[in-house]
Amino acid sequence: MSADHKFLIEQIAQGDKQALAALYRALERPVYKFIVSRLNDPHEASDILHEVFMDVWRSAGRFEGRSKVQTWIMGIAYRKSIDAMRKRGRMDLTDETPDMADDGPDQETCLAAGQEAAHVRHCLETLKDDHRSAITLAFYQDMTYGEIAEVAGVPEGTIKTRIFHAKKLLMRCLSGRVERGVA
Amino acid sequence: MSYQDIHELLPFRANGTLEGADLAAVDAALAEDADLRAELAALTAIRATMRAEEVASPGDFGLARLMRDVDAETHVAAPVAANDNVVPLSRLRIWQVAAAVVLAVGIGFNLPQIGPGSAPMERAESEPAGFTLASGGAAADFTVVFAPDATEAELRALLLQAGLEIVSGPSALGIYGLGLIDAEMSDAAFAALSASAIVEDVQ
Repeated sequence: MSADHKFLIEQIAQGDKQALAALYRALERPVYKFIVSRLNDPHEASDILHEVFMDVWRSAGRFEGRSKVQTWIMGIAYRKSIDAMRKRGRMDLTDETPDMADDGPDQETCLAAGQEAAHVRHCLETLKDDHRSAITLAFYQDMTYGEIAEVAGVPEGTIKTRIFHAKKLLMRCLSGRVERGVA
Repeated sequence: MSYQDIHELLPFRANGTLEGADLAAVDAALAEDADLRAELAALTAIRATMRAEEVASPGDFGLARLMRDVDAETHVAAPVAANDNVVPLSRLRIWQVAAAVVLAVGIGFNLPQIGPGSAPMERAESEPAGFTLASGGAAADFTVVFAPDATEAELRALLLQAGLEIVSGPSALGIYGLGLIDAEMSDAAFAALSASAIVEDVQ
């Protein structure tokens, strides 16, 4: 699959529009899912997706093949989403995390809540963007921490820390919703 | 590996991307710690729920938009990496001369057939086939203005329901040209467009 994507990028670099269409069909859904998870606005996410693939068209010749094509494209989507959030004035630029009590959430409750899409969706939305992006790339896209670090342009250790905090906050939120009896 | 290290890697155990020493260390910790196993089960459930969530992406509508803009951009300037497609000036002149010769031969062949008294305009009207307008070929069966807050998903659902496809637009005024997929469904398609809450104007 990855080799196919690289072949398509080489073709796109030669001006092959059919290769662009094929790459779009292959990656449109995961890229869109990632963007919409960050912006929470389908209209804006559609526009960003469009811009991402226009960038792919324009800069395919500069893809050096050191990473997977999907990782490279997710990186473009990541940066464009940040630009969009900055324009909205909705951007957390720090890696600070909220203070949390030490007591861990009940795992059985988390397991039950983790199977409810509404709870998971709500709790993801409560996360800071950096945390939500990291957990989204890990769980929606099944990326390694190295690939997520490449997408976000930060060291691997930073991604591990973000995922650690995101996981704790997510599980605390899920557990809290079940304990409070939120439907 | 510390307790925190194991906890940092646990989500990557849930998504199956851990390898080598990291995987061995996490699996060893899991074998000894029931709480860790419970946390992994919760993370696995969260991941499964997230992946099962359906998102309506732009799909073919987005692809059509992409191809339209790529075409527009290609007409302005070829992509940087496609420079080997640029025709050298000397070759261009040869092609220009060849094109001029073909054109001259074509005119020479056709002129005698338009004799005195023939009416070229009438001929063109009676035989419309053989050329298409540069502005868009396929004529639209309907011209439509959608509500500004209509979503892509709503547009797609309406077009599929009415058996229509976008053949042109949007124009600067937001007008789309729609073509019938089945020409016999004209009345039904017009009724569907007229009844739709996301259509502001249809003609």
